[in-house]
Amino acid sequence: MQRRHFLALASASAFVSGFPQAVQASAAPQDVVQTWYRLVLELVRHTATYSPPVAARAFGYLGVAGYEAVASGLGAASLAGQVNGLTAVPAREAAVYDENLVLHGVMCEAVFTFFGNTGPTGQRAMAAMKAKLGAKLAAGVAEDVVARSLAYGASVAKHIEEWSQSDGGAVIDNMGFPREWVLTAGPEHWLPTSKIVQQQAPLLPNWGKNRPFAMRPDAVCGLAEPVAYSEDPASEFYKQAMEVYDTSKSLTDEQKTIAKFWSDDPMLSPTPPGHWVSITLEILQAQGADLAHSVDALARIGMAVADGFIACWQAKFEYDRIRPVSYIKRVIDPKWEPMLITPPFPEYPSGHATQSGAAAEVLTAVFGDNFAFDDATHVDDNIPARHFASFKAAAEEAAASRLYGGIHFRAANENGLKQGACVGANVNLLKTLG
Amino acid sequence: MNRLSVVLALMPSVALAEAPAPQVPIFAEETATAGVTQTYGGEWEYMAGGGAATLDCNADAKPDLILAGGSNPAKLFVNQSPQGGALRFAETASGLEETAVLGVYAIDIDSDGISDVVLLRQGENEVMRGLGDCKFSRANEDWGFDGGDAWSTAFSATWENGQSWPTLAVGNYIDRKQDMFPWGSCTDNWLHRPAGHKFAAPLALKPSFCALSMLFTDWNRSGTPSLRVSNDREYYKGGQEQLWHIDPDQPPALYTEAEGWKRLRIWGMGIASYDLNFDGYPEYFLTSMADSKLQTLAELPAAGGPKPTFADVAFAKHAIAQRPYVGTDLNPSTGWHAQFEDVNNDGYADLFIAKGNVDAMPDFALHDPNNLLLQRSDGTFEEAGDRAGVAATGLSRGAALADFNADGLMDLVVVNRHEPAQIWRNTSPAAGHWISLSLHQDGTNRDAIGAWIEVQMGDHVQRREITLGGGQGGGILGPRNFGLGDKTEVGVRVIWPGGNAGAWETLTADAAYQLRPAAPASKISP
Repeated sequence: MQRRHFLALASASAFVSGFPQAVQASAAPQDVVQTWYRLVLELVRHTATYSPPVAARAFGYLGVAGYEAVASGLGAASLAGQVNGLTAVPAREAAVYDENLVLHGVMCEAVFTFFGNTGPTGQRAMAAMKAKLGAKLAAGVAEDVVARSLAYGASVAKHIEEWSQSDGGAVIDNMGFPREWVLTAGPEHWLPTSKIVQQQAPLLPNWGKNRPFAMRPDAVCGLAEPVAYSEDPASEFYKQAMEVYDTSKSLTDEQKTIAKFWSDDPMLSPTPPGHWVSITLEILQAQGADLAHSVDALARIGMAVADGFIACWQAKFEYDRIRPVSYIKRVIDPKWEPMLITPPFPEYPSGHATQSGAAAEVLTAVFGDNFAFDDATHVDDNIPARHFASFKAAAEEAAASRLYGGIHFRAANENGLKQGACVGANVNLLKTLG
Repeated sequence: MNRLSVVLALMPSVALAEAPAPQVPIFAEETATAGVTQTYGGEWEYMAGGGAATLDCNADAKPDLILAGGSNPAKLFVNQSPQGGALRFAETASGLEETAVLGVYAIDIDSDGISDVVLLRQGENEVMRGLGDCKFSRANEDWGFDGGDAWSTAFSATWENGQSWPTLAVGNYIDRKQDMFPWGSCTDNWLHRPAGHKFAAPLALKPSFCALSMLFTDWNRSGTPSLRVSNDREYYKGGQEQLWHIDPDQPPALYTEAEGWKRLRIWGMGIASYDLNFDGYPEYFLTSMADSKLQTLAELPAAGGPKPTFADVAFAKHAIAQRPYVGTDLNPSTGWHAQFEDVNNDGYADLFIAKGNVDAMPDFALHDPNNLLLQRSDGTFEEAGDRAGVAATGLSRGAALADFNADGLMDLVVVNRHEPAQIWRNTSPAAGHWISLSLHQDGTNRDAIGAWIEVQMGDHVQRREITLGGGQGGGILGPRNFGLGDKTEVGVRVIWPGGNAGAWETLTADAAYQLRPAAPASKISP
């Protein structure tokens, strides 16, 4: 069944009316945010650049841009001086602004910058959104207000773009794969697991050196050392490998569903960070959240997943650990294959676990503890929605999914969640709406 | 940190030195003089397509050429090349000069011995009846063909058992009216089955996942071809590659995981097939972006038919075209048309891949050379596009390898987006012996689509299935060439559609023959 949420309606009606229906109905600024974010989730899915770490970074900057533009109108606290390296965004004139158009101005600039490394279809979609939504939002608004609002939004976005250029992640070459790579010697270390030539080198080996948003660069959240490598059947490492192997041989239907639900493969889904952005959007929409709380939540979730990947990647390339499929084929069963496609980078910790732990920590702070919700991120792919009693429960399931899928050992999942909680706690320290 | 001293060159570690290096063919570009002038034009709606089709439209035993034009009219070029000489074509008014054509495939639909043509279009597809002497006229109404209104991007045809009229499969792409949210808008593919000597109303092949290539192929040698569909993951949601049961008098049904089908999700753009390992079953090459697949059956049971479980051996066989091998633009590649032919006549099918950026996709190479992967005797491949002279870097889409000047060497034409098509003559001085075989049946299915040709090579048998479809927007109708290496005569037989195996017949190399059921081969002189 196709999801008939806000944007699905917008999509279905776009051909008839030329404009998203929900925007027509209310034209509330938060709907402008939702509309653009739904496009962004598609751009992430359909653009090769946006591997999970890169997508997370873009979500972080887009969120900050949206928040800063709105906060400047509300007199709310700026993130300037709180997040690393951000200076004050341009101030507003003492004049009338239209918040719809301010946000549209932000998104037109920031989406094209942070998600614009896309092909002709994505370019066409962004251009159509800019033109059609812009025309709709400008209808009935004084020309000077339109111009001022769009220009202000664009100026904030450009300020954020300038800031982003120095974080270490602005340029992505060869989809993030080094053109040459030297494997680390030793049986415990990562080996290529893919038959795709490009993936004989690991994804984004320097990503952990990027400037984070809320973590102090000199105090990136760490985690416990991985289990000591061993091929001794009595060792903890072997036991954790056998757990992956045995689990794969006895997967329940529910475990298969969970593995598939959180698989979040690049180019086939909005990726793990996009999954949490999707969750956030759905909750904001269901709650009828106002503009301020919408952009605040999206800024926080964006920064959380972005910092989550930085912390995770720093550890991944510090430890450079072997994937289950490599170990199990070598030591236990040469013919074994995991349920999920093993991602092309080191194993410890789990990226999904770390960023899910961060996301859960932040969303719990935003929406409350034991906040139950339905996650319909993948209904368009014929994967039914799942219900969760809390964000923490969802994050724990996301982490466990990597064990069911055969791509991580238990320690990477459990310790990744803890690392993510640390990341999220840093974001939670930021002062925004007061 | 302790590091291995060897830098990964990011290439598979195959036994490169074990098999003798194949003879590198030589191609001379004759675009400027051959008379083939066509540009595949148009914007977003024409990012796929650009097909090339070969046929003999004037019964002179030389392959003529039709090239799609996108926003430009399609064109037919009559082959006037002298045997063994320079390539020469004459653009000829044919009735095919339609705009909005993405794909062209020749097929004798009404079995009158004159090739007809299917035009895949933005909008209504058309079947064009061959009138002879390279003239065509629309036959949608006469043949009950509902051309629909879609973005058609893939085609294949077969004659189902017992039918005197073909079954056509048409693959369709996204809903072109969706500008802000086109993703997930894949429109239905169609199966045009016969209703007597007309087409029945098209049957929607649900689910459809934005097909860019389709091929009827008897993958399990059951005698009943299935429909292989390669889909573009850029646009589908919940999709994957597909294999359909197309059983006579039965509704189409997808092969399932329970039957052994394994989910594969790629930017599927082109299908080529050939029995590369001489086991009697075809391998399939699937073009994609930053990757490509060479699939072989994972297991051949001692008894009974194989399951549709395929292993990807592209990496192991070095059948890879993942990024440019010449120039300074080393971003990942975008592969489109693929075709297996033996370009050096050494007895091992080689692989040509047309490549080119979709249209300024920033993650992918903008100067993406076409590939010519030569197969070694051990089944591995090595790149020779640059050495052979065909490493052009236009925005290539469709292509066709055919022996245009009847010298036994496979020539090449490539259709480019926004740029003129290019054509090369194979001038290799040291190629092996060859044989060219055309199949002909009386009655229906005159070109014996679905037959298998077998060529006895001593310790193994070359086999190739006569298919119609696949590739990117175009395909071959006409003779099939086999390289014979140093053999000057070979045993040849045909397993005709329906399963009747002809008798083995010894034929002399370096000649073209027509093969008919229950009749001796006859030489063809162009």
